[in-house]
Amino acid sequence: MLGPGVAWYLGIAAFLFATGAFGVLIRRNPLIVLLSLEIMLNGANLALIAFSRHAANGAGQIFALGVMAVAAAEVCVGLGLVVAINRRRLALDVDEFSELRG
Amino acid sequence: MIAGAWLCLWAPLAGTVLILLGGTRMPRKVAAWVATTSVFVAFAGALWSFFALHANADHHSHYSALWTWLAAGKFTVPFEIVVDPLSTFMMLIVSGVGGLIVLYSIGYMDGDDEERRYFAYIAFFVFSMLLLVEGGNMLLLLVGWGLVGLSSYLLIGFWHERPSAVAAAKKAFIMNAFGDATFALALFVLIAHSNSLEFATSFATASHLSQSTVDLVALGLLGGAAAKSAQVPLHTWLPDAMEGPTPVSALIHAATMVTAGVYLIARTHPIFEDAPTIALVAAGLGAITLLMAGMIALVQTDIKRVIAYSTMSQIGYMFMAAGVGAFSNGMFHLMTHAFFKALLFMAAGLVIHAVADEQDIRKLRGVGALMPFTKWAFLIGAAALVGIPAFSGFFSKDPILAADLHDHWYGVVFWACGLVGTFLTGLYTFRLYFIVFPGEPSPFVREHYHSHHGREGSWTMLVPVGVLTVLAAVAGWIQFQPFWEPITHWLSPVIPTEPAAEATNWDDAITSVIAPILGIAGIVVAWLIYGARQRLAVPRIAWLQRLLEHKFYFDEAYDLVFYKPAVATATLWRRDFEEPVVLTTGSDLGEGTLELGNATRRMQNGLLRTYVFFLGAGMAVLAVVFLAVR
Repeated sequence: MLGPGVAWYLGIAAFLFATGAFGVLIRRNPLIVLLSLEIMLNGANLALIAFSRHAANGAGQIFALGVMAVAAAEVCVGLGLVVAINRRRLALDVDEFSELRG
Repeated sequence: MIAGAWLCLWAPLAGTVLILLGGTRMPRKVAAWVATTSVFVAFAGALWSFFALHANADHHSHYSALWTWLAAGKFTVPFEIVVDPLSTFMMLIVSGVGGLIVLYSIGYMDGDDEERRYFAYIAFFVFSMLLLVEGGNMLLLLVGWGLVGLSSYLLIGFWHERPSAVAAAKKAFIMNAFGDATFALALFVLIAHSNSLEFATSFATASHLSQSTVDLVALGLLGGAAAKSAQVPLHTWLPDAMEGPTPVSALIHAATMVTAGVYLIARTHPIFEDAPTIALVAAGLGAITLLMAGMIALVQTDIKRVIAYSTMSQIGYMFMAAGVGAFSNGMFHLMTHAFFKALLFMAAGLVIHAVADEQDIRKLRGVGALMPFTKWAFLIGAAALVGIPAFSGFFSKDPILAADLHDHWYGVVFWACGLVGTFLTGLYTFRLYFIVFPGEPSPFVREHYHSHHGREGSWTMLVPVGVLTVLAAVAGWIQFQPFWEPITHWLSPVIPTEPAAEATNWDDAITSVIAPILGIAGIVVAWLIYGARQRLAVPRIAWLQRLLEHKFYFDEAYDLVFYKPAVATATLWRRDFEEPVVLTTGSDLGEGTLELGNATRRMQNGLLRTYVFFLGAGMAVLAVVFLAVR
């Protein structure tokens, strides 16, 4: 098999996922949160494709395509929300939206 | 024959249903007449089946089943009735005397608030008793048995606004339920051994069982009989049952209910013959009861209670007869007793009805001067009860005593008890008579007496009393042992007299001389003490009087043995378990849940990042756990 071993890919995937998760956790701007979410999804995609190649099985790639489709849909909804919030002149800060606290 | 028996059974039930369906749309008078008619139709059915059976030469038992009432595997019980000499005999008494009593109720209950309910109940009572005597197997007998208990409960507690009536009704029901339970247990033993409750099969099985098992079955049946017939020690409900309307007392005491125990022993006599010890116990209970009840009756001051105790005493005679095997004598006494006891209750009811519902004999002095018809009716009933020659009690009570004489060594003891009982009967009956009827009316009576349009009661009340007066006087002539014995002959295919209980002519003769003499002696003593001139002072023996007024302390003893420990245990549980544990657990659980909620709701802070963090942290912990335990 050509190229680096699967462990390398997984390392990068884990790094991407952790970066994304970290971003989701600490950033307050919804745009950045959505962006971090995309990075997490892409980390997962990378892991799927790495395993797909490692196992010589195309199913992982199909999964990755599915994830992309879902991600696109999700970004549509997320950006729609951001636009809606902005239109109402509300602060673009996820911590301000905590009406559902107990 | 069979059709007559079915008619006899269903007619009173139809009356009940009709009154219930009619409700308030049915005028009170109509309800009363529906009940009366239904019971007299039952009597007609009973007559029909009696004459049909009489015309039938063999006098065998005829069974008729309508449908299979209960089926559990191989064990099936049909809904069937039996027509044989014994059941037709009972049907005639129950529906005949019952009909007269219901007719009497029309006048007695006139103007009561809930007359319709009363008549529905009383017709149902007659139906229950008819089911009991016609039931073609042990289970239907038990069903009738239970329904009789239920209807007596309903009728004793009829005046439900009186707390004492409600208490009396409950007491009667509980004491009877105890008997029902022992009866049912006896049936379970029979089912276990024979898988059937048919009379013939059960009796055949019983003769093959071990002695202890048969004794157990007989004891269970005896428990039921003693509770229903108010025999010691299950008798305490009967005097309290006087809280019901007077016709109900007459019905319970004469035609239905208390005679059921005697009927049960007669019906299941093969079992008692296989268990001679228990039969002896039955006779012993009868002897004890007839003495105790006779003595207690001496100190009672309530007109109905005196008669109630005399019922207990007379049923004691019947138990004695059944216990030694003289079943037909017992049944004959049951019949004459039904006549004169119903008569005594109805005469007492006439007095109570005419004098402001007063039952205290000390207030009712001299009422006979105003009510001569009642006085004579009561006198004839009393003479029949005491067993004065030529009145019915003489013909039926003395053969019972004569039959006892040859039953082993203890027969003589029973015989002596019975004779002492005769003396007591004379004493308490005529104590009642001399206090209430003769002499100058007391001021209370003068003030409160009111006649019914110049007569002593409405015709519906006077006619049954008149009919029963005649019957109480002459019904005994049907059978005069040993000269003519049609009733013994009629009943002998079902309940043959045991050889040991066959009285010789000599027994009959000597008993028929001694018993009336003792009875008359009792009357004379009563006259000396309570007659107009009061030649003797009322004897005062403080401890004896106390003992009798407390009815031998049975109520107190039951109170001590059952009621007090039950209440003490309940109090203990309430104090040490209910209050500290049960009552607090519920609120503690509620408060604990609330506090837990208050503590955990802080986690719900509305910040998405916190949720994500916990989600991630949870996943991490799970991953570590799964890796660790793998």
